[in-house]
Amino acid sequence: MSLTLLLFLILGVLSIASAIVTISSRNPVVSAMALVLHFFMLSGLYLTLQAQFVAVMQILVYAGAIMVLVVFVIMLLNLGDEKKLSEKWNIRRIVAILFAFVLAIQFISIYITNLPDAAFIPESAAFNGTVQAIGTDLFTNYLVQFEAIAVLLLAAIVGALLLAKRKIT
Amino acid sequence: MHELIKFVPAFPLLGFLVLSFFGRNIKKEAIIGTIGSAAVGASFIISFLIFLSFAANPPDSPHIVSLFTWISAGDFSINISYQADQLSILFSMIITGVGFLIHVYSIGYMHGDRSFYRFFAYLNLFIFMMLNLVLASNFLLTFLGWEGVGLCSYLLIGFWYDKKFPGVRITWTGDAGNKAFIVNRIGDFGFLIGMFLIFTTFNSLEYTDIAGIAAANTSAFENTTIITIITLLLFLGCTGKSAQIPLAVWLPDAMAGPTPVSALIHAATMVTAGIFLIARNASLFALSSTTMSVIAVIGASTAIIAATIAIVQNDIKKVLAYSTVSQLGFMFVALGVGAFTAGIFHVMTHAFFKGLLFLGAGSVIHGMHEEQDIKNMGGLKKYMPVTYKTFLVAMLAISGIPLFSGFFSKDEILWYAFSNGSFLLWIVLAVAAFFTAFYMFRLLKLTFHGEERFNTKRIHPHESPKTMTVPLIVLAVLSAFGGFLGIPYVLGFGLFEHTNLMELWLEPIFMDANIILNHTAGHDIHLSEYVMMLISVAIALLAIKAANSMYSDNLEKSKKIIRKFKSGYSLLWNRYFLDEFYFKTIVDPILSLSRSFLWQFFDMKIIDGIVNGSAQLTGSLAKYLRRIQSGVAQNYAVIMVAGIILIISWMVF
Amino acid sequence: MPLELQLSLPLILILILSIKIVMVDAKFGNNKTLGFVTALAGFIVVFISAAFTLTISPEAIASLNAEELYSKGTITYGGFAAYFDMLFCVAAILTILAALPYFQKENSEHNAFYSMMVFAVAGMMLIAHSANLLSLFIGIEIMSISFYVLAGYFRTKEKSIEAALKYFLLGAFATGFLLYGIALIYGATGSLSLPEILTKIAADDFSNTYLTLGIALMLIGLCFKVAAFPFHQWAPDVYTGAPTVVTAFMSTAGKAAALIAFIIVARALFVIDIGQAAEIPDFQTNAIMIIAIISAATMLIGNITALVQKNIKRMLAYSSVAHAGYLLMGIVANSPQGWEGIIFYATAYLFMQIGAFIVLSVLERKTDKNLDLDDYSGISKSHPFLAAIMAIFMFSLAGIPPFAGFFGKFLLFTAAIDAGFTWLTIIAVISSMISVYFYIGLIVYMYFRKSNTYPLEADMGSAKVTLIISTACVVILGIFPSLIINLINNFF
Repeated sequence: MSLTLLLFLILGVLSIASAIVTISSRNPVVSAMALVLHFFMLSGLYLTLQAQFVAVMQILVYAGAIMVLVVFVIMLLNLGDEKKLSEKWNIRRIVAILFAFVLAIQFISIYITNLPDAAFIPESAAFNGTVQAIGTDLFTNYLVQFEAIAVLLLAAIVGALLLAKRKIT
Repeated sequence: MHELIKFVPAFPLLGFLVLSFFGRNIKKEAIIGTIGSAAVGASFIISFLIFLSFAANPPDSPHIVSLFTWISAGDFSINISYQADQLSILFSMIITGVGFLIHVYSIGYMHGDRSFYRFFAYLNLFIFMMLNLVLASNFLLTFLGWEGVGLCSYLLIGFWYDKKFPGVRITWTGDAGNKAFIVNRIGDFGFLIGMFLIFTTFNSLEYTDIAGIAAANTSAFENTTIITIITLLLFLGCTGKSAQIPLAVWLPDAMAGPTPVSALIHAATMVTAGIFLIARNASLFALSSTTMSVIAVIGASTAIIAATIAIVQNDIKKVLAYSTVSQLGFMFVALGVGAFTAGIFHVMTHAFFKGLLFLGAGSVIHGMHEEQDIKNMGGLKKYMPVTYKTFLVAMLAISGIPLFSGFFSKDEILWYAFSNGSFLLWIVLAVAAFFTAFYMFRLLKLTFHGEERFNTKRIHPHESPKTMTVPLIVLAVLSAFGGFLGIPYVLGFGLFEHTNLMELWLEPIFMDANIILNHTAGHDIHLSEYVMMLISVAIALLAIKAANSMYSDNLEKSKKIIRKFKSGYSLLWNRYFLDEFYFKTIVDPILSLSRSFLWQFFDMKIIDGIVNGSAQLTGSLAKYLRRIQSGVAQNYAVIMVAGIILIISWMVF
Repeated sequence: MPLELQLSLPLILILILSIKIVMVDAKFGNNKTLGFVTALAGFIVVFISAAFTLTISPEAIASLNAEELYSKGTITYGGFAAYFDMLFCVAAILTILAALPYFQKENSEHNAFYSMMVFAVAGMMLIAHSANLLSLFIGIEIMSISFYVLAGYFRTKEKSIEAALKYFLLGAFATGFLLYGIALIYGATGSLSLPEILTKIAADDFSNTYLTLGIALMLIGLCFKVAAFPFHQWAPDVYTGAPTVVTAFMSTAGKAAALIAFIIVARALFVIDIGQAAEIPDFQTNAIMIIAIISAATMLIGNITALVQKNIKRMLAYSSVAHAGYLLMGIVANSPQGWEGIIFYATAYLFMQIGAFIVLSVLERKTDKNLDLDDYSGISKSHPFLAAIMAIFMFSLAGIPPFAGFFGKFLLFTAAIDAGFTWLTIIAVISSMISVYFYIGLIVYMYFRKSNTYPLEADMGSAKVTLIISTACVVILGIFPSLIINLINNFF
């Protein structure tokens, strides 16, 4: 067992576990913290894939910026009424979990039976993960998409403002 | 001359446009009526001119006049183009000729109606669509007309929408229109799929192309499954439009419309569209012996079933409606046994006498102040002499009394049913003919003879105005003498080569089909044909006698018989429970599937239930969130995941 | 002007418009009509520029060398992309013309509405132009985010907010699958560029299982966007809950955008079966069969559920689901003929469905009043114009000639039959037969019922322009369908 695989397994199991805690915990703060842990684990996974830039961004943007906001919102809203947000066990929930399980088995069996051979891992992977490579790609090959992302963000901001405004004047 | 054919549909279209855009502002009924009638009259004149040029110089192949390209996508293109040949001109003359008379009649009949202009606009639109149907040179344009006439029929059945109209699950006339439209869609399903299959088989939708390919490759196509499927599907379309079993249920309810509409659309023209379609594709239908037999059997059973139902009806228009269904059955038998000319001939004579019967009935209803129940009539002979006399002519014609038009056409069908079909087919039709004569003279007795069964103090029947009686007289003349266009060869006693002008006229159209069916053009004189003819005359006279004696003392004797055969009467009175059967087996299951399963399970219970249940909740986002969490979105997600699992299993495993 | 600049003018202009309209809102937020005027003028300019790019010959576009372009071949120019630019602009123009009086009536005018409309159109145009899975995904996201917001535009109405949230949650769920599918396709072929993927598949240079899984997941994501069974359930709720004018836009232009995405993907991933011995990969046969089944199920369920609806808006929402089923037949046919059928039907459908919804919006009153069938009893007396055009839209939706809807169906059905899917066509004809029942039902109410005691008021304002244009197009495209067919014939 190589070190990469070992690392991958540890990070993978932890990220799934933290994701489950996020959605199942009744305390919002615990949920938020579990999510932070999840982001860190993901970032570690990116590192094992030699995507350094994405790994750093993951921590900076998600764990750093977004989660801070989320925690602030939880504090300000003071969500105390946790019981009402929880759900009782019912048929739907059982069916949903069953389906999720089947879906997971499907994916896992596909991946296990079709492990990619070396040819499908690009040799230039190490270089592709650097800031330089991503920057070059973004501003040459994917220039149009880069600009389109700007519109996407603008749309999201304007939309959020529109929905969040208290009252139409 | 034949280039003029493009103007034949143009005039009614113009009339429709003028009336629908400016009709509202024209206050004088006479002007509206004149515009509407003149548009149809002009078309008739043009058709007649083309007819004359064809008569002088009969064309061997159809003339096709193309207006513009309708669709062209890739390798196929379809034009708006009209086909001028003997068949289309004949139909066009029937439609515009009878149509013109009925337009004129409507001026009197619809007098004082609050949407007088709308009525004429619809009628003009109907004539336009019907002309498209019969003049089209390809299936698609015919389909346009086919749908268009259905649409106009729908609009006109529901014309007096706030009038009550009793029927199975029908309360208003609008419901009756709806029923007609929806039943017809089942037929259209057959038409559409048949059309698509024709396109894939013949790679064209032009009638001339299809007929050409079919005639050139007779041996390759004859009795193949694909031809049988195509023709059966097209025939399904015909059963819808021409009210044959299993789709016959709509026509009697279509009587909810104003009477001129019943005369024009539901007797003389639209309902014969099915006959036209089969005749137009005669060489295609001739290729499938299965389909031909099916057509004959369906036609014969419809003829007998409708004729028996007509015996017990009391609504003057419903009697005529079932009579129409029955007569259409006769025509289908003719087509089914390969006697195409006889079928078309009966279309024409039927247009005359059934149009006349309906207009006469309209005159009676008009004179009786909207009374339609024949039990409340009687003795109208002296009040409405013109209506009575013309009505009598039409009755003699439909009953098959010699020298009247119906005699020639019906007798020809009976003879071909025997000689090309089977003895059984002949028996069925002969019995149907007996009932035809019987219910007709029952109608005559109850309406015009005997004593008045209405309050003579309150109701004063009167003869209708000139605009109504003149069309009656014209149609009466046609009903009486129209049959001489198709005198059977045997009645020429071998002295003349061509006694049947109809057959001579249509010969080029059905040449290919007759070759496929091995029907030779030549004639022999069979003794049996004379015998058959005498038998059918005897049957008609017997039926008239029976009706006369049964209804001579008003309703007493018939009431006794009804009591005696109670169950049989109830079966007929309820029209063999066909409507109920369809509702129980088709309509209700679909609606309950929609209502109880798809709607309640997916929609109402889950969504509406929650929305309504929480209507009093207002305010904060958290409450909305909770509602989202309490079910709906997750339910959807669960169903989505089920779909995802299925798709992945199919694709990958 | 360099050719690329000319060709990308519509895209550039819509981007400029989207920034400008936000600035207009920021600076002149109180002037309610300014956003409307800016958006209207902007859409017209984009429309004209797109029409202009359509005149550039396909040969000139084909001669462009991808490597020398700014877009590096990630963007398609001209052809169907330009056509869809125009279509989306028309839909937006028709919508905002009707939105102005609608929101005035509801007292909820806001310039931000027009901003979101511009964003949505920008996203759709990006979808139509994309030759690259990345552009496609970004386009879909821009469009979806704008739709989430637009659906919740009535922030004080429960139904509207509920619609937005439901749409957002499920949409995000589906987007995950779409993105995962794109990632797997990238993993299997090593490229995001659709032409490259096509060459790799043709050269058999890919990892089969991952590509298959990727295609399956993309299929799921796209089916959600077109609202096809079993991923359709959001549609009736969202279409009913959203403001009527927004529904008009989402259910037509949004559907057209999702279908053009479908066409773009199908063209890259599927080999056209031209009857020769060309080998068709298993994943293609399977995927097309799945789409065929989805298409059949979608139209049946949409139409059958619409049968018993008493609320017209909800009925039209279900009928919109059914129409997605018809449109998917063009993908099943997997031939230029089928794609042309989709484009024609999407065009026809756009006019008739927008028209029908706008009629609703004109007669609708606050708090969702006047949306039931009963409210429409006898309106042919009080509103002959509205009743007449509504009848035309219904006939067209039901596929009755000579209106535009019939030819759309005709083209799609023949394409499916040509591709050997006769059973699908039979189901399609049966389900369109079923649909006649409720379309005609509305006409019965409008024409053959007695009027209500409470007369409906109609303030049309600029919505009248929308209605007239839609009616004219539905009729003209029915009588002269060649106008459009000739144009779209050389796209594929």
